[in-house]
Amino acid sequence: MIKKLSIAIFILIAAVPVLLGLGYALMYSLGLTGILSEGFTTTHWEETLITTTFWKSLGFSLYIALVVMLISLFFSLWIVISWIKQLNKGSLSYITYLPLAFPAIVMAFFSFQLLSKSGFMSRVVYKMGWIDSLEQFPDWTNDEFGISIIFSLCLLITPFFIILYSNLYQNERIAELKALAITLGAKPSQVIFKVIVPILLKKSAFTIMLFVIFIMGTYEIPLLLGRQNPSMLSVFIVQKLQKFNLADIPQAYAIAVIYILLIASIIALVYKTRPTFFNSSSSS
Amino acid sequence: MKKIIILITILALAACKSDSKNEQLDLKNASWQQIETEALGKTVNMMMWAGDPKINDYMKNYVAPAVKEKYDIDLEISSGQGNTIVQLLMTEMQAGKDGNVDMMWINGETFYQLRQINGLHGPFVDQLPNSQFVDLDNPFIGKDFQEPIEGMEAPWGNVQMTLIYDSEKTDQLPQSREELLAFAKANPNKFTFDNQFTGLTFMKALLIDIAGGEQALAGDFNEKKYGKYSKALWAYLRELKPYLWKKGETFPEDVAQMHQLFASGELLMTMSNNDAEVDNKINEGLFPESARAYVPEFGTIQNSHYLGIAKNAVDKAAAMAVINFMISPEAQLKKQNPEVWGDGTVLDLDKLPGDFKTKFQNIPARKYAPKRSEIQKNALQELAPEYMIRLAEDFRKEIING
Repeated sequence: MIKKLSIAIFILIAAVPVLLGLGYALMYSLGLTGILSEGFTTTHWEETLITTTFWKSLGFSLYIALVVMLISLFFSLWIVISWIKQLNKGSLSYITYLPLAFPAIVMAFFSFQLLSKSGFMSRVVYKMGWIDSLEQFPDWTNDEFGISIIFSLCLLITPFFIILYSNLYQNERIAELKALAITLGAKPSQVIFKVIVPILLKKSAFTIMLFVIFIMGTYEIPLLLGRQNPSMLSVFIVQKLQKFNLADIPQAYAIAVIYILLIASIIALVYKTRPTFFNSSSSS
Repeated sequence: MKKIIILITILALAACKSDSKNEQLDLKNASWQQIETEALGKTVNMMMWAGDPKINDYMKNYVAPAVKEKYDIDLEISSGQGNTIVQLLMTEMQAGKDGNVDMMWINGETFYQLRQINGLHGPFVDQLPNSQFVDLDNPFIGKDFQEPIEGMEAPWGNVQMTLIYDSEKTDQLPQSREELLAFAKANPNKFTFDNQFTGLTFMKALLIDIAGGEQALAGDFNEKKYGKYSKALWAYLRELKPYLWKKGETFPEDVAQMHQLFASGELLMTMSNNDAEVDNKINEGLFPESARAYVPEFGTIQNSHYLGIAKNAVDKAAAMAVINFMISPEAQLKKQNPEVWGDGTVLDLDKLPGDFKTKFQNIPARKYAPKRSEIQKNALQELAPEYMIRLAEDFRKEIING
């Protein structure tokens, strides 16, 4: 009875609102609801699917997510493998986990102050005489490669993976496996690349996928540090949702539904072809 | 399991239940005395842009205590503007629920959107005793984005857009489109405009200038004129684009970011829809004391901001009482003081009772902003709202994505 009650409460709190929201967005995008709705239409879906802006935005979001994941994974693995003992105590753990205390918008402002042409880095470089004017400092904010977006997101996400990997390091008894590999004659590089990294990556594969999806949907950081073209998906959707033209709202919902369906399809495909991917205990 | 489903259903229904309170008074036919009586002791929820500490201070420490003392009204202020208000009302109206917001600070495009969704209560302005002092014959006040307000929103303040510069860095101020282009060419990466309301207001002034002056685009939206003159505007902006901040490949997301870029020296100019803002920002310490504001000769938009009452507001009478106080001579006098806010009044000084006219004339002058009388000659009226919608869309297509 308690189990059933827990399931019902979980469905009520977690699943029902999401499904209702998705249903509402779908109806809105098809003109079936909304104060200005004029009846069923597929126009908003057609407009979204044929416009290059949507696909550019999707591609840019994926690019940012993949680059951020690569960098975050590299640094988190490096830090965990190099300093696993120090991570569990002392000032290193404090410094490493400090960025977790930053809300995204604060991190965005911090990066802007640090990396813009008139920011801290620019002034330091100018004072050192490496550039003749602040203008010469490279474009690292609102730039075409999303450098400051990537920088901010890496600062926010790397600590999560450091925590994850330091826990996995203990739970998977990596230290013992490492000792065993060395006893069997493995070189230090082989221990890292053939033993430790594959285990940690395999164990965290599903989390990595979820984080890619999470990064693709971030809003505050790309809003302040990104460009209007291409913009990340959330910025693009809010642009349609909250600008001056109320007739654009259904298109914003259409973009949101298409994005959700794309992500859900990818997850479903992975689930169907590699069900063990979702089960970290049997994937090693 | 059945019991659980029933429990969930009951909970869901309870959550959906409206907490509506029926309006007892027929407001449209009520006397002001009846409205004031009805307003006593109520709570009024006001939604407004809360991005300026001086404005917040005026509302929190002057208006709220005043209406508490006068009517025992608790004025609760929440942050939100423009589309947030529209979206909230749309959702509430669709759900058939009473409003969480009674009154809101709106202007032009929001007024247009709220009229589109029939989200405003009114007409109510004529019922407010202090509306007799409002300068409704002034087209900058009586019309909002070319649309007569028809009593559906009460004028609250009047401002004009200015360009803000640092007098120690810039002495040759561009006065025409040609001079602006030359200025940008001479100072690459040092000029831009934002991607929001202020930037669009700036583009509207350029469009009016291209069209041949204020009267050229007056009245309802004209597709033919828009097509003709917007082409010239995009051609002009394309010429300007390579010299803009970040080569015009991106634009600051809002005016706050522009102010920051100006303060840090990355931009030579910023903009404001409030002609007194340069004083505010210097007093706050954000801008250097050498910052000044001006209006170029091609003109800038002057517009008013307004107070509206939501159609689904719970306490409309109390909202009317609050609005009546906010357009009173004493509240407007306080608001126009640059030390307080510096917002232009919407009152006709010749209609004011007692010595209020003298008091308004003796408000301490703004130290850094130009005098209102000096910039009035270059004031342009707002265009019909469709111009803004089209400019926002086409700016994205022609300049940002172009």
